Amino acid sequence: MNYGRELLKGNTDSLLLCLISRQPTYGYQIVKELEKRSNGYFQFKEGTLYPALHRLERDNLINGKWQILPNGQQRRYYYITERGQQVLANRLATWQDFSTAVKSVIQAETT
Amino acid sequence: MVSSISHYLNRFKDCLHIDQTIKDGVAEELYTHLEDKTQELEENGLSREEASKIAVQSLGSPELIAQQIYEAHAQGSWKEALFSALPHFLVALLFTSYYWQNIVYVSIILALTVGIAIYGWHRGKPIWLFPWLGYYLMPVVITGILLLSLPQGWGWIAALIYIPLALFVFIHIVRQTARRDWLYASLMLAPMLVTFSWFSSLGTGTELLASDWIARLQTNALGIVISFIALAGATIAFIRLKPRRHKIISLLIPPLVILLSVTMASRGNINSWGWLILLFSLFAFAIPVWMQARAYQ
Repeated sequence: MNYGRELLKGNTDSLLLCLISRQPTYGYQIVKELEKRSNGYFQFKEGTLYPALHRLERDNLINGKWQILPNGQQRRYYYITERGQQVLANRLATWQDFSTAVKSVIQAETT
Repeated sequence: MVSSISHYLNRFKDCLHIDQTIKDGVAEELYTHLEDKTQELEENGLSREEASKIAVQSLGSPELIAQQIYEAHAQGSWKEALFSALPHFLVALLFTSYYWQNIVYVSIILALTVGIAIYGWHRGKPIWLFPWLGYYLMPVVITGILLLSLPQGWGWIAALIYIPLALFVFIHIVRQTARRDWLYASLMLAPMLVTFSWFSSLGTGTELLASDWIARLQTNALGIVISFIALAGATIAFIRLKPRRHKIISLLIPPLVILLSVTMASRGNINSWGWLILLFSLFAFAIPVWMQARAYQ
């Protein structure tokens, strides 16, 4: 199993919450934004995005709302909820601790 | 000619068994995604046909997305699971003592069932509704059976008028439920199967009117209580489990085990009418699950 893919799978929810917390956004924009911000590192499987968004919405971490654009097109924008912000803050703190610990171990190993 | 996008969305919708409003919403969301992607590829010089084909391919298998979306929506909360199981617990409670012989207790539970079933039906048919709906339908079916059990004459005339009406109501509710999800139709009919297996084991027709019928029912009270508690457990498992295959197993096995145990324990008490009723309820219960199992092959 591809280790990078496994890592992405385990952190998909946090990445989505992080993007949505910056500004309300919709499915296709999320895919593009992830690719852009990671300089193409995250090649997100487009089909897995919507089940993940619906899981987050079910858990009341985000909220989806249909919006009609000036050109008449409809899009479903996702907003982060208060609970989503709390969960994201906890996950980021855990990630920072984890990342620091991994770095310390790896640096000690290579020096 | 059907475009790649329409074909993809039709396949997706065919595989997804959730509330119609949610299903339409997700399909619309996928449609806007596919349109965005197609437009972007067209701007890069591809033809509309090529662009839509690539857009569809990059989204992946519609069956897999439908399955994952189903799992995100199909799992009810613990509150919903317990509320779905509540009518089974109430029936079990009726038989823990002699409450089932008390018209006041039976009327309260009946009124509660009818009220909750009507409320849920008009409130978007939430997942907890279907077991309540099963008990709501029970008096409709039992009245028809009792009319047929009466001596020939007025009873039969009443039955001839009543049964087509009752069948119309029954079929309408089952169809509406199955349209939402086949498995919900089985969830709804499960209490009917269990009730009729007990009902048939005590005899039908004139045997039902025999004076020792109540005593025979009370003798079997413990078995009846265990049956309905098992059904409540199966309902909780059905609501809480996510994968559809697990839901099918949780729904199918307990009622069939109860049916088998009751018919074996009745030691040949079931007459031809009883078998007919049992077969009808068994088919009504098992067909939706069987249809679903076939869809997986």
